[in-house]
Amino acid sequence: MNVQPILQVTNLHVSYDQIEVLRGVSLSVDHGSIVTLIGANGAGKSTLLRCISGILRPKMGSITFAGAEIGERPAHLIARSGLAHVPEGRRLFAKLTVDENLRMGAFRRNDRRGIDNDREHLLEVFPRLRERFRQVSGTLSGGEQQMVAMARALMSRPRMLLLDEPSMGLSPIMVDFVFETIRKINGEGMTILLVEQNASLALQIATNAYVIENGAISLEGSGVHLMDDPRVREAYLG
Amino acid sequence: MTTAVTTLPVLHPARSLARMDMTLALRAGSVAGIVAVYAAAVGILKVFGQREVIVDHLTLGHVFLFSLAGACGAYVWTRSKASIRLRVINVVIAGIASGFFLVALIALMANVNLRWMFTALSSDLLRSLIYDRGAVGGSVLFLGAGALGAICGALLIGLPQTPRRCLVWGLSAVLIAGVFQELIQIALRFGWPITSLRTFLYVWRGLTLQGAMIAFATAFCVCWALDLGRRHLRRRRGPADIDVAIPRLRSQLASAVLLLCILVVFPLVAGSYIGQVMMLVSLFVLMGMGLNIEVGLAGLLDLGFVAFFAVGAYTMALLTADSEFALAHYTSLPSLTFWMALPLAVLAATGIGILFGLPVLGVRGDYLAVATLGLGEIVRVLVISDAAKPVLGGAQGILQVPKPTIGGIELVDPMHLFYLTLVFVLVAALIAWRLEGSRLGRAWTAIRDDEDVAQALGINLVQCKLLAYGLGAAFAGLAGAIFAAMLTSVYPHSFSLLVSINVLALLIVGGLGSLPGVIVGALLLIGLPEVLREFNEYRFLFYGVLLIVVMQWRPEGLWPSPQRKREVRTPRLG
Ligand SMILES: Nc1ncnc2c1ncn2[C@@H]1O[C@H](COP(=O)(O)OP(=O)(O)OP(=O)(O)O)[C@@H](O)[C@H]1O
Ligand SMILES: [Mg+2]
Repeated sequence: MNVQPILQVTNLHVSYDQIEVLRGVSLSVDHGSIVTLIGANGAGKSTLLRCISGILRPKMGSITFAGAEIGERPAHLIARSGLAHVPEGRRLFAKLTVDENLRMGAFRRNDRRGIDNDREHLLEVFPRLRERFRQVSGTLSGGEQQMVAMARALMSRPRMLLLDEPSMGLSPIMVDFVFETIRKINGEGMTILLVEQNASLALQIATNAYVIENGAISLEGSGVHLMDDPRVREAYLG
Repeated sequence: MTTAVTTLPVLHPARSLARMDMTLALRAGSVAGIVAVYAAAVGILKVFGQREVIVDHLTLGHVFLFSLAGACGAYVWTRSKASIRLRVINVVIAGIASGFFLVALIALMANVNLRWMFTALSSDLLRSLIYDRGAVGGSVLFLGAGALGAICGALLIGLPQTPRRCLVWGLSAVLIAGVFQELIQIALRFGWPITSLRTFLYVWRGLTLQGAMIAFATAFCVCWALDLGRRHLRRRRGPADIDVAIPRLRSQLASAVLLLCILVVFPLVAGSYIGQVMMLVSLFVLMGMGLNIEVGLAGLLDLGFVAFFAVGAYTMALLTADSEFALAHYTSLPSLTFWMALPLAVLAATGIGILFGLPVLGVRGDYLAVATLGLGEIVRVLVISDAAKPVLGGAQGILQVPKPTIGGIELVDPMHLFYLTLVFVLVAALIAWRLEGSRLGRAWTAIRDDEDVAQALGINLVQCKLLAYGLGAAFAGLAGAIFAAMLTSVYPHSFSLLVSINVLALLIVGGLGSLPGVIVGALLLIGLPEVLREFNEYRFLFYGVLLIVVMQWRPEGLWPSPQRKREVRTPRLG
């Protein structure tokens, strides 16, 4: 396998108005790996993801994706270059059906056959969605909505997936299912950057992990390594 | 435990329920009564009272008051939770209460002169309503009619669906045949069988009692027959879920075709005044379809829409007019014909639309409304300004814009102009319809719902938004160009903010995002007030009431798109 970073963030600074939220974040994600980012509420995790996918502009620093600098690139071009972002809180098109949401995910694609195949495959990964295929997505349960959000992102055939707190507000069984799915998708070769509150599960599946505190990376290492770190145990694994 | 429960104050449930219902009835009756008094004070009742529905028997005033009582009866009947007997009593109380306010008004008018403030409150205002019966007789009539109206309303709402729908059809038929008697009589003026139908239903002043009964019976029976037919079909087909989509589409198509036929045939039989009204309606349909792209599809609120209409009209005038302001007059450009200028006018409007979109690209939500409002006003102020006067003619406008010609024949007859516009409307509707289902249409849907997610799916926000403004503006520019040629002149005062608001209101009433909705909205908001000229003074009151009623009972609009219906009826994501 090609073990060279697909995503590289170097010394990233981001601020809302005058308040600096990210102060020199650096991290890298290798091809085919799962990298987990954990941190307290308000540490800047979502801000980092939004900045990588181009919805926010960095004030300073660089972001390279697949060898190209994307820090100044508009969001839709970043998406087209193969980076899919599943935002915090799912943000489905609430009035569209599950099917329509999935089709929206494939917005940039023209290969009808390929789209149908991918959708079929995703309905196998998320069997619940097959039952809910024509349901308006605003009426789905939280767990089902999370599945649609992930499936929608995958419908664009991305090279890398940014997942923002996929387990938020889900029951323990659903959390297990979501993590199981993440592992499965990764097993099919997808690179994943995962932001999570549920540190223990997130660290378990991580190849590599970072801890973010007050807008800066305070710890990094392999998933297993960080699980044993006393500081992590105290602050995030309780 | 038990002591804790018994210390709570215990109300007798039945009695408290009855008391609650009584309050409900009185409240509903009061609202209806106050509306009636208000209508009397501002003069609506007087105007209504002059419009006869059935000659010598019933005026629109009666219908108005009776339906008020009926509405409050129906409301009380559906809301009340008491026993049937109590509910009936409550309905009657509500009806009497609604009549009581007018009785009080009669008493007040007999003793105090209110005309210094409300000119409409003359003594003969109510006389025609009570058939010259005097104060006592009139009061009894008001109270009795109120009670009767409330009972009828409650009965109507309590009936099963089929007879209720048939009754509504019948009553509407009488109302339409009566209120629009002039138009219908004109339409029935030629030919033997039709003329005799006319003498059968109408005298020259309006609908006869006999005519009303026939209209009622016909509509009632037609509705009943249709219902039987539909039921028969449903029984044969069975309740299979999947099959429903196709017949629904087909029936939608059928009603669209029906609507189109009415649009084509109606002005032909109803005379040239209707032709003119329909012309205006179709211009607003064109604009409505344009604004629908911006607001309905892309979710970009635009209160400056009239600017594009103005650009289309002025471009047409500048390129074709036989006037000192025409470009041909002081440049070496040739004076163009309508047909050559038309694409240029559309193009100019599109360009302005895109230009218009640029400054508001990053503006969202409420701010967008204010920003576009400002931009629209800038265009209007620019046009009447002294600075632009040498070019655009200032407040006097540009005169002598030629009418369109086809094969060398000038289209002077408003009817011909209407048909020309109708062709444009059809072409525009086809384009709008194709756009809706296109990739661009889907991108607009995504942007409307969530701009960030749309971007994350690879949708180019800037491009899609500018296209929405540009295409929307193109429709308005087309309407403006036709408008200039129709009036053979353009004045800046035709392009006020009210036009933008009218277009937006007709979209909302018809159903945002729905093409047939645009037509329904334009007919209702533009056509109806033109036909009922004497109500023109109350036009905006009518708009307000209509908007409130639609927002309350059908927030998705009168003819919504299926998707919009879903939007309104499903809860938002938390
Ligand atoms: N649009 C905004 N405008 C101003 N400040 C913001 C904005 N969005 C986020 N912030 C601030 O930036 C900081 C980081 O926010 P962010 O959403 O990145 O946190 P997070 O790590 O994702 O937290 P959580 O785990 O609660 O999702 C917070 O203090 C937040 O208040
Ligand atoms: Mg977050």
